[in-house]
Amino acid sequence: MTVPAISVDGLRYSYGDLEAVKGVSFDVQPGEILGFLGPNGAGKSTTIKMLTGQLTPKGGSARILGVDVALDDPEVQAQIGVCFEEKNLYLQMTALENLEFFASLFGIRDVDAMEVLRRVGLADRARDRVGNFSKGMRQRMMISRAFINKPRVLFLDEPTDGLDPVTSAAIRTTIREEADRGAAVLLTTHDMFEADELSDRVAFINEGEIVALDTAESLKLKYGTRSVLVRLRDGNGVREEHLPLGGDGSSARLAELAGSPDLLTIHTEEATLEAIFIKLTGRGLEG
Amino acid sequence: MSSPVSRGAIIAALLKKELIAYSRDKLYLFLTVLTVVAVVSVFWLLPDSVEESITLAVSPPVQTMVEDARETLKAMGATDEQLAELDEADLTEGEEGIALVEFENAEQMAAVIEGTLEAYRTNEGALVFRDPGADEDKPKDAHRMNVDIGIAFPETFISDVAAKKDGVRVIIYSDAAVPEEIEGAMHSFVREMAYQFAGVALPVGMPDADEIVLGEDRVGNQVTMREKMRPMLAFMILLIETFSMSSLISLEVAQRTVTAVLVTPAKVADFLIAKTVFGTGLSLVQGTIVLALVGAFTPQNWSILLATLLVGAMMFTGVALFVGSAGKDFMGQLFYTMMFTIPLLIPSFSVLFPGSAAPWVKVIPSYPVLDTLVNTTMYGAGWDEAAGSLAYGLVWVVVLYGIGLFALKRKVESL
Repeated sequence: MTVPAISVDGLRYSYGDLEAVKGVSFDVQPGEILGFLGPNGAGKSTTIKMLTGQLTPKGGSARILGVDVALDDPEVQAQIGVCFEEKNLYLQMTALENLEFFASLFGIRDVDAMEVLRRVGLADRARDRVGNFSKGMRQRMMISRAFINKPRVLFLDEPTDGLDPVTSAAIRTTIREEADRGAAVLLTTHDMFEADELSDRVAFINEGEIVALDTAESLKLKYGTRSVLVRLRDGNGVREEHLPLGGDGSSARLAELAGSPDLLTIHTEEATLEAIFIKLTGRGLEG
Repeated sequence: MSSPVSRGAIIAALLKKELIAYSRDKLYLFLTVLTVVAVVSVFWLLPDSVEESITLAVSPPVQTMVEDARETLKAMGATDEQLAELDEADLTEGEEGIALVEFENAEQMAAVIEGTLEAYRTNEGALVFRDPGADEDKPKDAHRMNVDIGIAFPETFISDVAAKKDGVRVIIYSDAAVPEEIEGAMHSFVREMAYQFAGVALPVGMPDADEIVLGEDRVGNQVTMREKMRPMLAFMILLIETFSMSSLISLEVAQRTVTAVLVTPAKVADFLIAKTVFGTGLSLVQGTIVLALVGAFTPQNWSILLATLLVGAMMFTGVALFVGSAGKDFMGQLFYTMMFTIPLLIPSFSVLFPGSAAPWVKVIPSYPVLDTLVNTTMYGAGWDEAAGSLAYGLVWVVVLYGIGLFALKRKVESL
């Protein structure tokens, strides 16, 4: 049986009287990307801090590659990569120096930092100081730093935040490559498209608790409404009709409208992850 | 691929990073270079000698009073032998360290002491004057006389006191900076002269007083301002480095780069050790460079000075750890640095002023460091004298380090 790369069971943490994480449980298998979705203050960052050894859990247990995180084992730390939401890079150092420094902390002697920079499109700026980089370039540096030790477990906090669509797509490709290599990825993001596209499974976290955990498709099937939106010309305006899939008479009505000379468009209506989140928690993901 | 990494390798990597970060920051580099250049320049610009004699001004010239006295004393029946003694009258005879300047009139003398008139002694020995307010050149081949105290005698002083007249008035002019003790000495000096000229011995039996100098007799070899500044300059370097070091720590905390370090195999202890080693090393190297440039090291004292600098560097690194974890921005950093380092600077002032330090100054953590620097560089103290002071300093190092490490550890763990 495969040992989960990340195994969390009843994990708890409190800041004084405020219980930030209230017994969350989940597993992430090697090669799997788990999207961790929730609004600010939901407990995502606190959970990641516990899993990366920055905070000591106050209850429950968490294992990374089978080792209890409370042991703060350097062997385990050597196998993880973290991309923080804040761009905590050494601004006085060049891109190459940043990566070589972190590689040396991991004990990597034969690091090919240029290749890592090439993956995120920064090879031509390798010898420039990071302080001179744009916000997007710094974000790409953050990704490259998380990859420097070829980690078996990746924690990515808003990895495409502030990037243009083209670069975001390129970064998503590299994240998928890391998962394909066998890395377990815990991804937090506000971008529902990104979560939908990248995640093998999605966990919704709200007020310190996981309220739903499944594949995006299953969540949509379970909590969404499958319907078709038909738009028709109506005099000088446009008229819309929503037809629930599998509903009584829907098929006949759809066939009828499809043959209408006033038909403009037909779209399948799929529940978004955000809509499901709102349905489950009563609040949006941006809050 | 990664392999198990040793603590030593992690600390070495962190130290290399510290060095890069430090060398890339123009402000710290500027501060470091400027401080070293400034303190060394100040040292070599300071006077390397001490003016040990007091310049005493008198008016009118002694010879004028003697001429006046000659006729009066002759009329009073003085013998030729007594009159010959009068010719040999010298106000400063036997007074070590007193240089005499004679003025024609009291107004001129008072103006020179007040600073409204400048007096110059030419190479030929003549006294010339210059009004600093007037547009006139300074006299050539002449040096300025610094006159701080003067005695205005009446022209008939000798004859009047010899005739035991009442109401003889002598005025002592002194600069505001002249210590009260010197003014008192001048009063005694005038009274003693009056007794001598009146031919009356002081109504006491004069005891024989022997002067025994304890320690090194520095008469003729006083500690110069330059020598006094030597330990203080090394101390200043340590203070400046406290600011640089605390800024580096503060930056690491503010930019949260420390968080990125701590999710690798590096531990909080590695981070703290690297900061400590770098900060202490930086201060030690700079302190050593400054002491070397001001010629403080001798074959006898180098080991004591290095040990003292090490204790000082560790002490100030402890302060930097605390300050670095408290300050949030440049101004905050500056504020906390000043708040903690100014009290530590107080003992260095005790070097510049005579007398021993007040008991409360000796309690300040930096006192043992400065005391050892002073005693070693100025008075040639050896290990037997320095050891106790350094041991006391080490106690403070442990305390300050403990506070600094605790504060920074808490700060890092709370990020």
